[in-house]
Amino acid sequence: MQLSRRALGILAASACAVAALSPPLAAQDKGTIYYFIPTLLDEFQTESQKAVEALVGGLGYKVVSLDAQNEADRQLRQVEDAILTKPVAMIMNAVDFDAIVPGVEKARAAGIKVLNFDRQIRTTEFELTSVAGTVEIGQLAAGAAIDLLKQRHGSVKGKVLQILGDPGDNYTLDIQQGFEEVMAREAPEVEIVTKAALQWEATNAGKIFEDQLLVTQDIDLVFCHAAHLTVPIVGIMEAKGMKPGDIMMMASNGAPVGLDNIRKGWQQAEIEQPTYAQVYGLAMFLPKILKGEALQPGTYDVMGLQSELTIEAWGPNLKIPGAVITKDNVDDPRFWGNLNAPTGPVTVVE
Amino acid sequence: MWAILALIILVCSLTIEHFFQIGIFINILQHATFVGLLAIGLSFCIIAGHMDLSIESVMAFAAMLAAWLTATRGSPLGLQVNTWLTLAIVLGFGALVGLINAILVVRLRINAFIVTLAMYIALRGLGLILTGGRSMYGLPADFRFVAANEALGLPLLIWILVGAYVIFGVILRRTRFGRYVYLVGGNPVAPFRAGIDVPRVLFKVFILSAVLAAFAGWLLAARTNGATPNLGVGMLFEAFAAVVIGGVSLRGGVGALSGVFAGVLLLSTIDTAINVMGLDASYMQVVRGLLMLLAVLLDSAKTAAQRRYG
Repeated sequence: MQLSRRALGILAASACAVAALSPPLAAQDKGTIYYFIPTLLDEFQTESQKAVEALVGGLGYKVVSLDAQNEADRQLRQVEDAILTKPVAMIMNAVDFDAIVPGVEKARAAGIKVLNFDRQIRTTEFELTSVAGTVEIGQLAAGAAIDLLKQRHGSVKGKVLQILGDPGDNYTLDIQQGFEEVMAREAPEVEIVTKAALQWEATNAGKIFEDQLLVTQDIDLVFCHAAHLTVPIVGIMEAKGMKPGDIMMMASNGAPVGLDNIRKGWQQAEIEQPTYAQVYGLAMFLPKILKGEALQPGTYDVMGLQSELTIEAWGPNLKIPGAVITKDNVDDPRFWGNLNAPTGPVTVVE
Repeated sequence: MWAILALIILVCSLTIEHFFQIGIFINILQHATFVGLLAIGLSFCIIAGHMDLSIESVMAFAAMLAAWLTATRGSPLGLQVNTWLTLAIVLGFGALVGLINAILVVRLRINAFIVTLAMYIALRGLGLILTGGRSMYGLPADFRFVAANEALGLPLLIWILVGAYVIFGVILRRTRFGRYVYLVGGNPVAPFRAGIDVPRVLFKVFILSAVLAAFAGWLLAARTNGATPNLGVGMLFEAFAAVVIGGVSLRGGVGALSGVFAGVLLLSTIDTAINVMGLDASYMQVVRGLLMLLAVLLDSAKTAAQRRYG
């Protein structure tokens, strides 16, 4: 292959630009910890990255974050590459619960401590898993939906449009499972229409809502599995002359847009996934894990949330409770949707 | 393809409760706006013998840029720039991307597939930097006017979509530039020997494709009242599917925008049908794929029958 001088010039300039953009090598006091992020096209994940880099970095480790761009195989390759750099630990936030298992096992076989963030993976062992419990978030959402429907009708009845994220994503399926379990048990008269916004793309959620308005005119409540899916829905409601509360709405990840919707009345509830506390939970146990000491089961205070550490077949499991955000508590700085990422220092468990 | 579209609509109307109503047909058209605009630019590129994989990212980045300049919430700037100025900036951005694509493909003779794929990836990354991974929303009312209002009983977006297909259909079929696009895509050597400025035609095609994508992004921001970091993901494949279903040959030189429009509407019809039928979410993509396959098979059967029986 022959390249022209101009093409070579562009290549050289690009190489210089890449070199200029590369961060300088930071001091590695206590070693490197990798944080594997499934995607950066999601506010929850970008906030988790900020929190990991602040809290774990604050403990004296060099944190390297790698974005898998929602590709399970890319993430597996990233893990395999990272193993060769001999980090002291890895924090796994998996794209796919199963696809990542070979990478986790390979890392642990190489003596690297692997911590699991936000994914309830039961098929392999971790040094610690920190989760909010996605099924539990669905259950919390069901409780909020029941309250809202009761307020509107005087009894628990009506119609809910549930908009999932991508139907291939375990996260949304777990929320659906938790939500529908509780609704079937405690609100059997409520009709649930379930649709999926492919690839978590907000425009798809808008299309679903607009189409459903034509076929089911009596929707009481829209439940989106992520707050960003509500953005076009609010736009459509406004365009159709609806007022806040004409159709109630709730979402389930606690993103800033959901909290803003609550302040403006478009949303009645948001189920917070406690991102900051989940990261904090990992950081507070990290030194103990790296010393090779066993974690003790019990109740721990994680950023003011009473969280339960249990020893499971897949290792220690820290479950942090989610919260229902309403107009009464929307300004609580603890909610990640208010974007006050904790900066530390972390009170570590001795 | 129009006959197949009519057949699919008929089947959906007869078999899906609530499908046969004016509101559904309006939704089908309105929802087709963004993929429809992308498909116009892509058709020009493919007919001219090239690819433009960057259109989805151009559209998404344009929407993010518009939201970044105007959104009241989520944008670090909070500038609330004038709507028309935003449109000019967004279209200028599109033109710049198209120009860069054209320079790399036409002047430096780098494969268009690679160039536009690289642009696709880079712009997604730039969008991430611009938004910081956050949603930006709360656009001014005059920005959203185009997505929230109607003319003669139809949403403005539909008029824009139909207008774009009419205008660019005429350009492609009835102007010298359109004829050159076909000639260049059919055989780039012959038009060169006939004195046609092939690089100039290709520059125009790449710029047109990117500007249309940027315009689609501006409209998408208006429609969604902002921009999310993953906005428009998957629309490139839908645009490609619409173009191919619509009869544009991937080898270049063949195709018409009327067929592409039918392809766009077919995909939008399938999506809407899935949205209104009581279908388990996990079966959604299977049904979508099968219906697309069915439409193409029916079209092939129709073409074969026409050849055989005249």
